Amino acid sequence: MVPLEPFLVSVGLMFVIGLYSLMVKRDMVRILIGVEILFNSANLCFIALSTQVPGFVDPYAHSIVMMAIVLDGTVIAVGLAMVMNVYKHYKTIDIRKLRRLKW
Amino acid sequence: MVDIISQGINLPLPLLMLLLGGLTSLMVGLLSERIGVAKLREVWMIIVSAATLTSIYYLNQSVQKAGVLVISIWGQLPPLGGCFEIDTLSIFMSGSIAVLGFLVALYSISYMEKESRLTEFYTLMTFMMAGMTGVVMAGDMFTLFVFWELMGLSSYVLVAFLKSKWGPIEAGFKYLVMSATAGAFLILSMAIIYGMTGTLNFAAIADNLRGAAVSPWIIALFSTLVVGFGVKSAIVPLHTWLPDAHPEAPSPISALLSGIVIETGLYALARVLFLTFDPGMFKLPIAFLAVLTMTLANVMALLQTDIKRLLAYSSIAQVGYMLIGLAAGTTYGFMALFLHIFNHSMMKGMAFLASGSIVHETGTRDISSLRGIGKMMPVTSLSLFIALLGLGGVPGTNGFISKYHLFSAAFGSGLGWLGIMGVLNSALSMAYYIRIMQVLLGSPKEGFKANEAPILMLTVTMAMAAIIVILGIWPAPLINFATSASQSLVEGLSTYIGAVLG
Repeated sequence: MVPLEPFLVSVGLMFVIGLYSLMVKRDMVRILIGVEILFNSANLCFIALSTQVPGFVDPYAHSIVMMAIVLDGTVIAVGLAMVMNVYKHYKTIDIRKLRRLKW
Repeated sequence: MVDIISQGINLPLPLLMLLLGGLTSLMVGLLSERIGVAKLREVWMIIVSAATLTSIYYLNQSVQKAGVLVISIWGQLPPLGGCFEIDTLSIFMSGSIAVLGFLVALYSISYMEKESRLTEFYTLMTFMMAGMTGVVMAGDMFTLFVFWELMGLSSYVLVAFLKSKWGPIEAGFKYLVMSATAGAFLILSMAIIYGMTGTLNFAAIADNLRGAAVSPWIIALFSTLVVGFGVKSAIVPLHTWLPDAHPEAPSPISALLSGIVIETGLYALARVLFLTFDPGMFKLPIAFLAVLTMTLANVMALLQTDIKRLLAYSSIAQVGYMLIGLAAGTTYGFMALFLHIFNHSMMKGMAFLASGSIVHETGTRDISSLRGIGKMMPVTSLSLFIALLGLGGVPGTNGFISKYHLFSAAFGSGLGWLGIMGVLNSALSMAYYIRIMQVLLGSPKEGFKANEAPILMLTVTMAMAAIIVILGIWPAPLINFATSASQSLVEGLSTYIGAVLG
């Protein structure tokens, strides 16, 4: 059985890195990459937990992570399409220039 | 008592209708452009949503006969494969979705007339309804997540649909980033559930986790679940995308988003929290969130000058009221929650549709420049007036009935202070509804001209106004239906578990 702790620690670290890049980065593409890091840390958590069944690695978690990766990819694709539209309107992808909507 | 359908690839009939309808509507749209038949895709959308309503009726009959209907998707028996588990609650929610979807489809025929890319619009709308129907029928966490993302993806694109303006794009990006982050939290919560129980099936989760001792993992699971579902259902610290995204979407989509999408999030929250924890555990945190949501949203709504933005904040406040029912955690509380979900879908859907007609005719969303619109558009204004009365909870409308049940559920389960906060907030909310009513009834400025909305839009809004008033005067059938829905959630828990685990 694979030890669980190193995986859980890296899941936590990746989650913090993802949230950090969501909060701090100004570039919209980097924000989307932050979202992708968040997704990947959650997927890694699944895979790490699937090794904890005695005797074998649970294929159920792997099938779920496969589907989840596809769904993450589509979300990021829609996000990148929106970034292109933002660039058409504002001629920049700096998120701090997008502050006409507030309150 | 239980039917299990497990031969071959199966989908519940309404979901099949919507998914097939969405796929074919692309071809129908192409066909209608090639051969030049106008309105073909609109008619197709109406047919699909009417067929969905009909099939929900037939599904309801078989569910009433069987108690709980389990449909396994790939022919594998649950809890191993993905499955749909349909009880009366799923029927209630999918019925609300289909009714509002049908009315909005009718409305958007004449609202979206002048826009381009209509094929994409109707396809995405069908897929959004399919996603919601899948969420309310899902029998395991992963099926729920797949349809959750289907609903999410279509709604991101629909919010940013009018991409020639800057507002929708900006709101859409905000919505996408926040919801995608919530999706990551949801996968994390699924991983935690999987780590604790080894399965994602709702019945198996409820069998294993309910009544478990509070440990750090249980707390982590609870918070990831609340964040994951809370962003879509706009619970207050996570609501900031909603007042941008809902007003910037096209009005029919605002009606669908405010009317039923955030409630689907609330349904998922209620179902998963109730199946995973005892109500005693999530009572106080949810009550706290309810007070925060109601109060902040009502205060912010007072400050708005944009009519659709005001209605969006009022949606957040209504989510706060609905959380009272979840916090009560009794059959009665859940009954009030689901009753308010249907009533709110009618009232807020209609308020957005009527204000959409006003925006469509006058081209402005600023409240003060709409003064005297009631003289120009009497029928639309009358229906908006009824919707606002309902949202404020005036007796004689269905909003009063469901709010009454929500607050008395709070008193009944020992959360008296929560009920009092609800009543006070409801009174406060009347302040901004009266502000709109004043504008509707005021005398117009010189040279302010607007025509009455087209007849189809009027028909839809008046039909919804009639539903609001009728359900306000004669609520018994709907209350009975909502009661049996909440009974199937609370008292039918052992049936729900037994249907899968045997």
